[in-house]
Amino acid sequence: MAAPSMAAALAASLPVPSAAPATPQPKYEAIPASMAKVIDIEAEIPLTNIQLDGMVVSKIIKHAREAPSTTAHGLLLGLDLDGTLEVSNSFPLPYHAHDDDEKSAKAIARHQGSMLRSLKEVQADDSVVGFYQATALGAFFNQTLVDTQAIHQEKLRHGGVVIVHDISQTARGNASFRAYRLTAAFMDAYKKSNFNTASLINHRLTFSSILEEVPLKIRTNPLLSSFLGTLTKSIPSPLADASPDEAYEAAVAPSYSALDLGTAGVTRNLEQIVEAVDAYRAEDGNVSYLIRQIARERAKADNYIAKRKEENQARIAQGLVPLPEEDVSRLFKVPAEPSRLESLLLLGQIDAYAKSLGDTASTSLVKMYAAKASAGM
Amino acid sequence: MALGNTSSAIHITGSGLPSSIRIPQNVTVHPVALFTILDHYLRRTDQQDRVIGTLLGRRTENEIEIKSAFAVLHSETDEQVAVDMEYHRTMYELHHKVNPKEVIVGWYSTGSNLNTYSALIQNFYSLETAPHPAVHITLNTGLVEGEEAGVKAYVSSPVGVTPKAENCVFVPVPVELRFHDAERSGLDILVDSSKSSSSTTPQPVPDLEVLERAVQDVSSMLDRVLAYVQSVLRGETKGDPAIGRYLMDTLGSSVGVGEEVGGFNGSLQDTLMVSYLASLVRSQAEVSARLVLTTASS
Repeated sequence: MAAPSMAAALAASLPVPSAAPATPQPKYEAIPASMAKVIDIEAEIPLTNIQLDGMVVSKIIKHAREAPSTTAHGLLLGLDLDGTLEVSNSFPLPYHAHDDDEKSAKAIARHQGSMLRSLKEVQADDSVVGFYQATALGAFFNQTLVDTQAIHQEKLRHGGVVIVHDISQTARGNASFRAYRLTAAFMDAYKKSNFNTASLINHRLTFSSILEEVPLKIRTNPLLSSFLGTLTKSIPSPLADASPDEAYEAAVAPSYSALDLGTAGVTRNLEQIVEAVDAYRAEDGNVSYLIRQIARERAKADNYIAKRKEENQARIAQGLVPLPEEDVSRLFKVPAEPSRLESLLLLGQIDAYAKSLGDTASTSLVKMYAAKASAGM
Repeated sequence: MALGNTSSAIHITGSGLPSSIRIPQNVTVHPVALFTILDHYLRRTDQQDRVIGTLLGRRTENEIEIKSAFAVLHSETDEQVAVDMEYHRTMYELHHKVNPKEVIVGWYSTGSNLNTYSALIQNFYSLETAPHPAVHITLNTGLVEGEEAGVKAYVSSPVGVTPKAENCVFVPVPVELRFHDAERSGLDILVDSSKSSSSTTPQPVPDLEVLERAVQDVSSMLDRVLAYVQSVLRGETKGDPAIGRYLMDTLGSSVGVGEEVGGFNGSLQDTLMVSYLASLVRSQAEVSARLVLTTASS
């Protein structure tokens, strides 16, 4: 597993909060009064929403489509201002499939370091504010994501965010970007690395309370807006007798992929639900096996204590010195309660797959009735 | 799909070249590359008139596909031009590690003017892309009054009796915007947000809303066509037989759907089943997660 090592590498390369590069040297007299309220040097204003730049949108989509698997991930760069986190740039991280863990972790850290230095030289933002992760069919819960975000949340100014991009939904004609962060309850349990039942109850953790969503907006800067305006403008063809198809052309013609009646993704989605349920069953089996083992060991220990007590009573009745009550925990190894994190994450995955399936089904119902009406049935 | 002003020029490529290296006949640009150039232009310093950078992409038989770009430091004064080559190398290596398929294909600059410095930089990039020719993309941001935003592509060819680095002819090459179908929707949200007054769009947009918008678009187009047909029928406008034939082809093709009544019902039942299954799975997952919380406390 490259997961923990990648997280460790990220941790190693990230700045400690006290030396956060985003924080300018406090120069209070330099900040005009009108801006004094919105600039917070100590990161006191909580983040309320995320603003994603148009360039980042296109970069993430390109990386997600071209990556060899659905594991495309990279870092987000930007600044926060008055509770809005403005994500202005991003870069992909290299994908290591079978490399040595230690080596690839170091390579990623080096890559990140030199990329940040290089970007700074051309006046781009160079403070890491989170990372992005591509996913298919809505299921992005996994150990890597949680580990990486947990490290970010401790080390980065404002805790950082993870932006999740759903490839399959984008292919259906609705590009989807969502921003998340870990909830306080989950972070607390994660710090103690304690995911047994008691801790889950204390923190009221279910899969839906691991991540909280942060509102996200997509923004295009004026230069990009005007350029997009040029791209979408249709230009009359220079040829006088052009066919209606070619009479007007624009670099970005309107598209109607949302009206596609096909249900190509449904089979894949169903398969993935079945796989996730199988994985959950296996994990559930492991957990219950461990629980049975714990119960067995505990019963053995209890038996031993009861026997010793009985024996001692008999000895006292006979007037003998009672045997010392030994420490049972040394004699019987009661295993620790298994972590429920894995099954929690798997449940979250099942839920996400099912949600995406439900959404597809509901839109295709609408489309079917629309097609029926237009066919005059 | 042309970028910016369409020109009426015909591009003829010489086939009499002795070498096996072919001059690209077509250049396609990915939106990411354009947006990166625009972002770089926004972040230029006060002294900089234009910005330059490296273009990465893929080369095929006679086409160059520009897939991404990165900014490169450079300075221009009246006497000299300097490009930070070391920076260019480092950045290229970093990009190459993530995406090994992308190689250097040329360079970009903003603004439409080509001068001696352009020739010098072109000479440098030609060395980088040798033996293939380097392409040069100029992106006019449309900020200067009287100039229209647009993208142009050039390849260079030496000129003069003795070839010199600062002498070359920039030969225009047709350039197109290209993107994958799956990336289309990403571009759509950007276009949407560029049209909205606050130039932002809240995310995520529900699927149904996207569908509704598409249906409304189609419905307004039908209205337009209907208005045109009626005005032709009333004799107010002169009908165009070509448009009439296209309308007949387009509208006539959709009639076949109506015959599949059984297919519709079957498909409807399948979809309802899938929707039922999805909500069943979701509620099971929810119940299961909550049961974990209650088992120990009982």
